[in-house]
Amino acid sequence: MQKLGDFKLPHFFNYPPYFTLQPVRDTREKQVQLWKELILDYCRTQKIFVIGLEEDFPLFSNAVIERSLTHEAREAFLSALVSEGRAEWLDKGHRKCLILWHRIQDWADIILHFVKDNGLEDSVITVEEMRSGIECRGTELHGIDRTILMRALKLLEQKGKLAIFKGTSADDEGVKFSM
Amino acid sequence: MRRRPGIGGLQNAAAARDQYRMLGENVAKIRTDMMKEQLATFRSQLEEFARKHKNDIRKNPAFRSQFHEMCAKVGVDPLASNKGFWAELLGIGDFYYELGVQIVDICLATRPHNGGLINLQELCNLLRQRRKSDREAVSEDDCLRAISKLKAQGFVTVDEVERRLSWTSGRAIDALDTLLDEGLAMIDDGHKDGRRRYWFPCVSSISTSVADT
Repeated sequence: MQKLGDFKLPHFFNYPPYFTLQPVRDTREKQVQLWKELILDYCRTQKIFVIGLEEDFPLFSNAVIERSLTHEAREAFLSALVSEGRAEWLDKGHRKCLILWHRIQDWADIILHFVKDNGLEDSVITVEEMRSGIECRGTELHGIDRTILMRALKLLEQKGKLAIFKGTSADDEGVKFSM
Repeated sequence: MRRRPGIGGLQNAAAARDQYRMLGENVAKIRTDMMKEQLATFRSQLEEFARKHKNDIRKNPAFRSQFHEMCAKVGVDPLASNKGFWAELLGIGDFYYELGVQIVDICLATRPHNGGLINLQELCNLLRQRRKSDREAVSEDDCLRAISKLKAQGFVTVDEVERRLSWTSGRAIDALDTLLDEGLAMIDDGHKDGRRRYWFPCVSSISTSVADT
């Protein structure tokens, strides 16, 4: 099985036709399904949060079989993820895509667990500490994309679990939990 | 070699060992060269044989099967290349190619009845019925070879189909698009030569289910 670093690539990745958008509906559906799963799996294991369509994302080409996904194909597969709520376009031109291998709700739950595990129920912590501080090492929050983290925090704010406030500088946003 | 005492004696022993080693390597090389030459001779004799018995190979399935065995023994695969001596001289490539296409056609047609699994014998019978008007007889051995050739390649281009079967462009595209619509083929537009390829993922399942009978 071919590997990208530690990641085991599925067999279809080595079959040239899968790099061409299939015209026949049933075949296309199967193709899209396979690519959606691959993209989510890869992003989850590699902790990738954003895919740039015009960049060298490793899954977009396979040098061994000399095939690359066209821009149209890339957009088709990512749009399918967007339709399913597992991704979001970050710009109107569909050049950058936010990948939600955990949905925002899932991230919110992870944050709640993090707060409980660290006894932060009545504490204050900066947003930056949540994603790079000592407490988050070894948790899923470590290295989380800032946009996603803010979205999850805002969701929890709406539920009254916390309050977000601005600090002294732009980087200094903080969170006060009230759980 | 007479043993001499002291350092001089040791040096002589080492030199002698080196000489024996070189001799051994030369002998091995001579053997290999001789074998290569024998093989080359055998291959050209095989080609001569093929020229002389072209018709028998084409017309007689048993003879053809033994011919294939002989080729295999010297590492010659007459079906390996679409060009070159074997394909041009014997036209065997086209024969198996056409067979392969007919086999896919039959499997396609019988799929509603047998769910995609067909017995090798039945496949050959259907094939013979279809080819009644055709010149060459077909054996089960031929079927297996045609299937494995299809499997090896895995794909075709429109040009190839036109050329090998002498079909018009329209007919070739129609046939390939039919297979596409049936979900038996997939397109591949990614090759740097810009030519569309039709791949047959179904072929490996055909060869598996046929071979198991």
